[in-house]
Amino acid sequence: MKINYKVILPVLVIAIISIVALTSNIKKNEDDRVELNKTPEISFEDRADNEKWARYYPRQYGSWIKTKEGDAIHDLLDTKSQLSVLFAGYGFAKDYNAPRGHFYAVQDNTNSLRTGAPKDDNTGPMPTACWTCKSPDVPRLMEEDGELEFFTGKWARYGNEIKNTIGCYNCHNNETAMLEVHVPHLDRGLIAAGLPTFAESTHQVKRSLVCASCHVEYYFKKEKYTDKAGKEQIAKVVTLPWKYGLTAEGAEQYYDEVGHTDFKNKISKVPVLKTQHPGYELFLTGIHGQKGVSCADCHMPYTQEGSVKYSDHQLQNPLNTMDRSCMPCHRESEEKLQDIVSQKYVRKDQLHELAMDNLAKAHLEIAKAMEVGATDEELVEVRSLVRKGQWRWDYAVASHPAFFHAPEETLRLLSVGNDYAMQARVLLVGILATKGVMNYSAPDFSTKEAAQGLAGVPLQDLIDAKLAFKNTLEKEWNKQAVQSGVWSEEMKVRVESADENASYIIN
Amino acid sequence: MIFSLKKLTILVALIAVVVFGYIIYASKMPSYLSSDPKACINCHVMNTQYATWQHSSHAREATCVECHLPTDSFIEKYVAKSVDGWNHSVAFTMNTYDHALKISDYGAKRVQKNCISCHSSIASTVMTNADKYHNFDDQSGVESGRKCWECHQSVPHGKVRGMTTTPFNLGVKEVN
Repeated sequence: MKINYKVILPVLVIAIISIVALTSNIKKNEDDRVELNKTPEISFEDRADNEKWARYYPRQYGSWIKTKEGDAIHDLLDTKSQLSVLFAGYGFAKDYNAPRGHFYAVQDNTNSLRTGAPKDDNTGPMPTACWTCKSPDVPRLMEEDGELEFFTGKWARYGNEIKNTIGCYNCHNNETAMLEVHVPHLDRGLIAAGLPTFAESTHQVKRSLVCASCHVEYYFKKEKYTDKAGKEQIAKVVTLPWKYGLTAEGAEQYYDEVGHTDFKNKISKVPVLKTQHPGYELFLTGIHGQKGVSCADCHMPYTQEGSVKYSDHQLQNPLNTMDRSCMPCHRESEEKLQDIVSQKYVRKDQLHELAMDNLAKAHLEIAKAMEVGATDEELVEVRSLVRKGQWRWDYAVASHPAFFHAPEETLRLLSVGNDYAMQARVLLVGILATKGVMNYSAPDFSTKEAAQGLAGVPLQDLIDAKLAFKNTLEKEWNKQAVQSGVWSEEMKVRVESADENASYIIN
Repeated sequence: MIFSLKKLTILVALIAVVVFGYIIYASKMPSYLSSDPKACINCHVMNTQYATWQHSSHAREATCVECHLPTDSFIEKYVAKSVDGWNHSVAFTMNTYDHALKISDYGAKRVQKNCISCHSSIASTVMTNADKYHNFDDQSGVESGRKCWECHQSVPHGKVRGMTTTPFNLGVKEVN
């Protein structure tokens, strides 16, 4: 076949010219795309200051600041008085409120009687780790001082540094605004559990994992290290007990293996594991978790404002935003869905009360047995059963409504927990009988006063000390934070004016 | 002379192959053979459609092409893909598209068919009851002749379509 180069050559040249022209067009359009997808950059110095993000993300910021509306104080020690007995000798017997909006995270941590009334940097009952989930200043300080250094010393040490409440830099990269977690404990937990790390996860999973950086079970692991000055130090590092899985039993196995106990109950000497808030773990066992729904899907529903759509940053109970949170997937009426949720709550609450009553009675019956001469050897099994029972009960109720996220798992844990409490109480009847005590009935713990009396909580002293702290050191912290530029004057005014709320201040 | 023309032609052909290879890379051409929704935001024009889909309940079950391309025949699917691909390329290159995208009649018919193929029991109820309400000419399989989204306006993209409607969408930035 004769090839006509005189035709082919010009065709090729025209083809090349066209392709080059097209390539330059693609290049220009690609530049447009990159430019359009670009986000405003928040400087590294400003990353922890939520106000600095506000001018670029007005809608996200505007909805985020509305977490201020979640301001109701709910004193759980009042409505669930058994708690003071179960946590006797521990902070939660002093003060235990239901959580409020993210706006109040730093303030509620500061106001809680659990964090005590420090007089300076080196006093008070709590370690720095208690700040970990409260503020974007935490990752900032970890980056500035080092993680182990951050986790060393008393809570009061960072009182003038941690002022911005949970905000932008807790979940977002300051240059790209992409989802990102800046505290290392989450990835360590994921790796221990054999799960993909945050960076390896899909966007949909990240929409939950940013929440899981705080709404999980954890403990403060003691780590020895030598600081920059060459001094031996012990850091208390937030650590997730996920080695044996993201379950109550898995975490218990881990804690037993490392010999961890949060506190010894003052009434019964039971070595108690206090559950933090395994909201993410429980959510995964529920139907929404299993269907791949993310936290943000319901708690940050996609919202239209004018012609613009964005994720609502007013994190709250999705029952307040059912039209945007529930109805995009569910066909039933809002009323019907609400009835279903209420039904789940009623079921949980029955078992919740039952388990708490039996656990509280078990603690008090152990105290009676100790009083009439039962030895620690005689009580080993009973205390072990109460530890197991209280762990399961606490795991089921300590996080945000697990009764909704994971009703089956919640009811299972409450039932099994209650069964351990009952096993302990059956043994206790026998032990008390051998000491000649028959038909013992535990003292009344049906009010906050009665229960705190049994737990030996000097409530008024704690309140007086706290209020004194608020009038002195806390005021000093706030002033210093504004002077050093950590906190804006505007936010200080805003927070201080909203700071008339704590259960003990109301009462 | 013919010899050197041949050589020149081969040389030019080689250059053509190279620049063609480059355009395959630059235009992310192979991604269009996939069913990955991210291929639909290779350029920025459909950012809003991607973001609204990604936040919708349909994102759990259906990708872009599962609604927008024929799903029952491989040939029909690739015919549709080619037609759309050509139209989109021309519109994008020549900058002849509107900033608020609107689906073509051809595209709408395909989507309607896919609505029905997944939600067939609902569609059959609609068909059974159609004569009680409106009986428009049958154009699409549902006897009313109307489209599902004339009532279900928010499914799945919401009511907004402007190109600047979903600023800073995090999912969109995944492709960077």
